Amino acid sequence: MTALLHWLTFLLSIIFIPVLTLGTIRKTKARLQNRIGPPICQPIYDLVKLARKGETISSTMSGLFRLSSLFVFADILVLAWLTPWLCFKPWAPHSNIFMVVYLFAFARMFTLLGSLDSGSAFGAFSASREATLSLLVEPAVLLALVALGIFFGSSDLRVIFSHTTNQTFIGSAIWIAAGLAIFFSSLVELSRMPVDDPTTHLELTMIHEAMILEASGRNLALIEFAHALKMSIFFGLASQCFLRAFPQFSTFNVYSQSGLNIVGILGLALFVGLLESLIVKLQWRKVPEFIAYILSLSLIASLAAIGAGVIK
Amino acid sequence: MMVTATEICVLTAALLACLIVGSLHLKVNLWLYALSTLFIALATAAAALEHSETGLIVIAILIALLKSIAIPKFFSWAIDKLHVYRDLGAIIAPPLAMHAAILLFALSFILTKEIPSPAGPGYGWFGAAGGISLVFTGLLLMLTRRLAISQIFGFLVIENGIYVFALTQTKGMPLMVEMGILLDVLVGVMVSGLLLFKIQKSFEHIDVGQLTQLKEP
Repeated sequence: MTALLHWLTFLLSIIFIPVLTLGTIRKTKARLQNRIGPPICQPIYDLVKLARKGETISSTMSGLFRLSSLFVFADILVLAWLTPWLCFKPWAPHSNIFMVVYLFAFARMFTLLGSLDSGSAFGAFSASREATLSLLVEPAVLLALVALGIFFGSSDLRVIFSHTTNQTFIGSAIWIAAGLAIFFSSLVELSRMPVDDPTTHLELTMIHEAMILEASGRNLALIEFAHALKMSIFFGLASQCFLRAFPQFSTFNVYSQSGLNIVGILGLALFVGLLESLIVKLQWRKVPEFIAYILSLSLIASLAAIGAGVIK
Repeated sequence: MMVTATEICVLTAALLACLIVGSLHLKVNLWLYALSTLFIALATAAAALEHSETGLIVIAILIALLKSIAIPKFFSWAIDKLHVYRDLGAIIAPPLAMHAAILLFALSFILTKEIPSPAGPGYGWFGAAGGISLVFTGLLLMLTRRLAISQIFGFLVIENGIYVFALTQTKGMPLMVEMGILLDVLVGVMVSGLLLFKIQKSFEHIDVGQLTQLKEP
């Protein structure tokens, strides 16, 4: 019975948390621009509208284009099941760090293939940019997760994210550094503000938006939803890192832990909204510098984890 | 293992100094230097509370006023006067140099583990590591940068490192010694600032890479 309840809450949170995250970002941005903005659950109406619309497909496309968005959606769903981005989870098998990181890469590969298959100039253009970005940001994400893995002596993300710090200063420092690294690299992975403007109207400056330019109807709905779900997975991981930096967090029961976790995700979304309204997009050639700072955060985390192991 | 407030402040200062290496913008470098020095002043204040030494409080206030406000203000004025806002480029790419600085930060923990502290074994390890790491960062800054003004930043960071090492290994230097050092630093900065203007006037640039031969312009 409890297992069924777990599955039910998990399914509900998979549907609603991404929508709420996206809605919060949009609402924050709208309020900061003195607009009232769409209601917070507007993304779900958009998805329903898109799902009921017809689809236009260019005659040069092969079947890969439609298949790719399905693959991305399925892959992100599997990731949502495997990664411990929420405190409450139904049963799931071992979720290895490397498998999780490369399942994200797998989803990206299909996005790239889809955009190349669409045959538009912008698709290839942005695919190349996305590939460059992912190449640069991959070591940062991997190192941050591996730092946590070294510190807790496990390569299973579930084991790592059920621990808390053992009340030491260095443990909290590693959690915070890894959380910051995951959060900032998620901004690159999801092509959000300092790297890419998600609301831009100019195809030449787009990264993620140009890749899905050719998608429409149900296809677009799948891609949009997968993107939002990926965002909440990343924010969930980051917010858990920040919460677990406090030694008291492990003493709470599961309900308050999950509540704090969801509040953390929405808080990060609020912060992203603030960030997107207050700062400008980085020049393309400045982006590697930004990623270098993220990588140095993960380097600090992993070196501290190795150091903590040596001291023990 | 317990980490004292002094050590947390010192380690934060060392990390902020590592970030200086990652940017070529001189104003960003100055801001990071000021923040790092502010943390060193905080570390001094925390050490004053730990050892209950009133002299250290005076030094903390002096450091905060002189090194984290006055010197950055002076340099930001100098940058505006010289119209040089960016370093011309480093010998190692700045992001890689920053990663090297962080690796050196880790190395300094290994190097300082065996340093015998007067206050007993295991005492002041993190503080010493922070100090040595600041010296490394300053050296890296001096070695990789091309502008004369960045060399001065490197020198200032090294000076911070030596001060931190003395602060964490002893129970604070005597007030007179510290005030003398602060005065020396202030004079050194003023003299080097004047030199900057002289170099700019005679050679029309402040690139030390081109200062290998001295000749009449």
